[in-house]
Amino acid sequence: MDALVEKHFSENRLRERVALIGKFLLAGLAGLLIGLGVTFAALRHGVGFGAVKAGPWTAWPKAGGDAIDPYLRARLTRSGEIPLGASEGVGFIAENDSAGARLDGACDYTVSGQTPQARYWTLTVMTPEGRLIANPAGRNGFTSSEILRSADGGFAIALSHNARPGNWLPLTYRKDFILALRLYETEFSAGALAFDPANLPVIVKGFCR
Amino acid sequence: MSGLDRFLAAILWCLAVLCVAGLVHILAVFNVPKFERNGAFGRIAALTKASGLTLLPRVAPGAEWAPFSDPALAQGACRFDLTHSPMRLRGEIDGDRMLTLSFRTPAGDIFYSMTDRAAQRGAIDVLLLTADQLETLEAETDEDEPAPQELRLVAPTTKGFVLVNALAAFPSGRLEAEQRVKAISCEAETAAQ
Repeated sequence: MDALVEKHFSENRLRERVALIGKFLLAGLAGLLIGLGVTFAALRHGVGFGAVKAGPWTAWPKAGGDAIDPYLRARLTRSGEIPLGASEGVGFIAENDSAGARLDGACDYTVSGQTPQARYWTLTVMTPEGRLIANPAGRNGFTSSEILRSADGGFAIALSHNARPGNWLPLTYRKDFILALRLYETEFSAGALAFDPANLPVIVKGFCR
Repeated sequence: MSGLDRFLAAILWCLAVLCVAGLVHILAVFNVPKFERNGAFGRIAALTKASGLTLLPRVAPGAEWAPFSDPALAQGACRFDLTHSPMRLRGEIDGDRMLTLSFRTPAGDIFYSMTDRAAQRGAIDVLLLTADQLETLEAETDEDEPAPQELRLVAPTTKGFVLVNALAAFPSGRLEAEQRVKAISCEAETAAQ
């Protein structure tokens, strides 16, 4: 009789132990999946510190120096992007127009205004993945030297499917696109973390097909 | 087990899951650069020779070697490995044309960047070395000797790469910009006698 009770008791303990180990494994697995999922989402959505926003433009000036944070480093490594060094310049990306709507390849846009003091700047049309878009004119962007300017030094660039007089960048892509503005040898550096939106070009939507 | 016991146990298990998730997240973020072969260094390593400067391919639609590249730039890269000797990067600078240099670790961190404006007497002369090599070099040189003209730059890692950018302000200046990139030389510095 005693032996039977003991056997029953030890079976119960064994079952409890197995259940406990199972819970440990389950907790570990759940933690692993959640941790990896959060990492993946964070890198995909560009979570990080030190983004500088000015109007529609966003820059990550910390990418150019020692103060780069692990999130930004991980994101750049995953995309393969090569940021500019702090002394070389700073790159801005615009995914939206100045009104906050996503840049749409089916619409015309005008990019106009001023740029901060820089030795050169370039403006490039790209896909959201950072690829160039093939077009018959073979033109993906302008450098500050090529631009036609008005008398006050300002400029206006027309982004359109149809050829325009003046500074024209052809759009052929019927989906979302982005604009990359790169300021080379600019007075603004990783140290100056505030950009006045008034110093950067405005992006205004025109006619949509 | 009462209801309260179960509730407390469930909270403890949830906390355990959160702790594991947090740990995994931190480890993953820090280790992405180590395991990602598609990063900047991986791409550059696939395109360049082990020594000397390699002109990188032009960026064109469908032929970008890295995303978010500026098509107005002519780019070249030197890989460096300071295990055996320092590396010297030299080049004459021509007039007012923009040329920029960035010194990067395999993880992609930029530890130094400069432009042609930092050139002295029309030339860029950088000696890239490890902290130990700098110590040896300084111990060898006489204190009476005039200060060296070169910029002595200590690299935080023994391996890495230097990226050379020249801007073609007009599309017609493309070849000329590539020539300016090719005018930069990177060579292993043979030990001073």
